[in-house]
Formats: sequence, C-alpha cells, structure tokens
Amino acid sequence: MTKKCLVLLCAPLLLAALASCDTSSFGNISQHIGTAMTVVDQTSKASRPITDEEEYYVGRAVAAKILGSYQLTTNAQLTRYVNLIGRTVALNSDKPFTYGGYHFAILETNEINAFAAPGGTIFITSGMIRTTASEDELAAVLAHEVAHICKRDGIAAIKSARWTEALTVIGTTAARNYTSGEVSQLVSLFEGSIDDVFKTLVVNGYGRSQEYAADESAAQTLAKCGYDPRAILSFLKRLEQRSGSSGGGITATHPATTDRIENVSGKIPSTAQIHPRAIEARAARYGAAVR
Amino acid sequence: MKKAIFLSLIIVFTAAAALADTVTVITKENAIREYAKFFAPVKATVRYNDRLEALSMEGDWYKVKCGPSIGYIHRTAVEKRAVAASAAYSRKGSSVSQSEAALAGKGFNPQVEASYKRQHPEMRYNLVDSIERYPVADRDVAQFIVAGGLRQP
Repeated sequence: MTKKCLVLLCAPLLLAALASCDTSSFGNISQHIGTAMTVVDQTSKASRPITDEEEYYVGRAVAAKILGSYQLTTNAQLTRYVNLIGRTVALNSDKPFTYGGYHFAILETNEINAFAAPGGTIFITSGMIRTTASEDELAAVLAHEVAHICKRDGIAAIKSARWTEALTVIGTTAARNYTSGEVSQLVSLFEGSIDDVFKTLVVNGYGRSQEYAADESAAQTLAKCGYDPRAILSFLKRLEQRSGSSGGGITATHPATTDRIENVSGKIPSTAQIHPRAIEARAARYGAAVR
Repeated sequence: MKKAIFLSLIIVFTAAAALADTVTVITKENAIREYAKFFAPVKATVRYNDRLEALSMEGDWYKVKCGPSIGYIHRTAVEKRAVAASAAYSRKGSSVSQSEAALAGKGFNPQVEASYKRQHPEMRYNLVDSIERYPVADRDVAQFIVAGGLRQP
C-alpha cells in the first residue's frame, strides 16, 4: 500500500480528531496531526524497500567477499586512470550520487570480468581492461557496471522472503541499537542477502533484460559524457572474438555476446563528431595507463 | 465547530505545503554548491539525514537553504521523506527527530556489519575501506574531462 493511500485513509481520522477540538485547543492541533502522521509512518515502514544506507552495507560485504577471491592491482597509475574515467561516467549516469559514493578498483587476474557491488563499488579485472582498445571502450565497460548500480540490480537479487523476514525483526524495535538476539537474527539475514547478491554477480549473472538495459544505459551515458557511444558496440564485438578462447568470466555470467550486440545495435544515440584532438588526447593517456 | 474545521483545514494544507518544501540528505556526505553544477564551489557540507529547505528546482538540482547558506544540491543526493512528517510538527529548527534517526539507523546498519565482521574475520573489509578512502578530487576529475575533450556534466 502506498503512503499516499495511507494518508487518504488516515485523513478522516485526522479530521475527526480536529473536529472534536474546541477553538481553545488549537495549541494541540499540531500534536494531533503528528500522531496521525506517525500512524502513517509506522504502517508504511512495515513493507519498505531496502534503503540506500542498507544497500551500502550489503555492498561493502559483497565487495569484501569478492576481495577474498581476487588480488587488488598494485598499478597506481592504472588505478588512478580507471577512477577518473569511472567518476566521469558516474557523474553522467542516472544516479550520480549513492549513499557511499562510487569507487573503482582493479582485480589482478587474466579473467575477463567486471562486478558492481551494490551501493557503488565497482571492480574491473586487468584481463577486462586489456580486452578494451580505447578509453571510450573502457568507459563503456564502467558505464555498464554503473548502470547496474543505478538500477539496483544487485540489491534486487536478494530474495524477497529474506527481506520480508528482516523487516519483521527490524519492525519489532524502535531503537537504533538491537538486542543481541535481534542482532543475531539480522546478521543471519544479512549473510543470506550477501550470498544472494554474490551468487548473482559472480556465479549466475543478472537476467538477460537487466544486461540489455545496462548496455543501453551505457550507450546513453557515453553520449552524455562526450565519449563515442558506439564504443559499447565495438567492445562487445571484440569480446565476442575473444570469448572463443576464454571460458568462464563474463561469458559465463552474461547473455551470449552476439545477442547483446544485436540488442544494443539499434539503440546507439547519434552524437556530434568527436574532435580529432580529443581522440588523440584520450589515445595518449589510454596508452600511457594501459599498455 | 465550522470555524474549527475551517482553521484545521488551513493548518493541514499549510503543513502539507511545508512538507513539500523539505528534502532530506540520503548520502553519507554531500555539498551545497554555489550554482547548479557538479564542480561549482562548495558553500556548505551536509551529512546523511540533514534536512534542507527546498526553495526551487533547476533541472536536476534543488536550490536549498542550509543554515545561513543558499545553494544547490543534486536531486539524487536528497529525497522527500513522507516519514519525516510526524517530526515536522514536533521539532524546532532543523535537528533530526528521534523517529527519523531511528529509521535511518535501522536494518542493515553498522551494528549488524560489526557483528558480521566479528563472525567472518576472513572477509577483506580492510581492502574495502582502502578502496573507499581512495582520493579522487573534484578538480582532478574536472581537469580530466577537459583534457580528454569530454563534456562537463
């Protein structure tokens, strides 16, 4: 039930309460309104979605788990370069701000993959970076991951029954701090939620429609940045060529690359031609950081 | 009685209007900017759950009043919270009510994370912290955008 409906349902109660007051009791009217709105608050809290703050804590745990299987790169120049591209892309996305902000890190592995932990921490493997051929293509990969965060695809992987159970625990106390029993229950549900997201990110992958939407969103974001939106297409074509020689990684968790190419082909926004000096500048800094 | 109902309706509508003009910060920290651009000079810093008076909307940016400062904050950094309604009538100034603070900290919160970390010392939270602390200054992003012939957001 939406809050708007709840307000409408509570309105008669509110007016009845007000009507029962005499004119001398207007000092208490604000109290009556406050009480009625508290009822709305409490009712609506019973079935709320995961907040951005909660998403952040789930994302941190998912990131910590991913880092249990991979090493972070020690390449400072490449880390800085990826962060600058990532921040540029995020600022042009549908959601430039998340609770904890966007952060980009490189996993040192030949595996070709990238992961978006809920809340804003994005991992890209060095194998994936080496698969790109330009800054625009690297931006395309990061824009695809940023799109998963904007659309909350990671958080959507949490089983609804698990979150409903969490809400019953959360709803039993008005205090910010939980008792040890409640913490124990919540930690168990937290752990289950992390597993749901981790399995989706690393093992099973998102749904086909989520991947298609992320590709389409990446093309739009690239255009907004001033990157060539066709870079998503050229990257996917290169990925398709490489997928024959590389099992696992992104090919195991994403729809067939040919299908992704077919989907996004007709959805590339048209943009003004990029100035040759800009192309040269990007090629130079890409070469310095990646090669 | 008619007078009472009439006055109460005025109060209800006035209150509704007041609520519509308040936004709550939903990021850990953010900036009130001098104008509606990402790299505009920072006039004030705001934190999660701070409530701001929204004066108008310019594109994707709210023009807000934050203490003595008037500036801009991006729409994705704030939200209009109906749940703050009960607090709006009980509080004075811009401090956060108990009910808001309770909601803000409820659910998967630092207490739950701390307990989870104790049970799973193998989790690499130290690396996550270092990733989150990695500094990327606004001016460096702005320079990167210009140098690459990209568009200022």
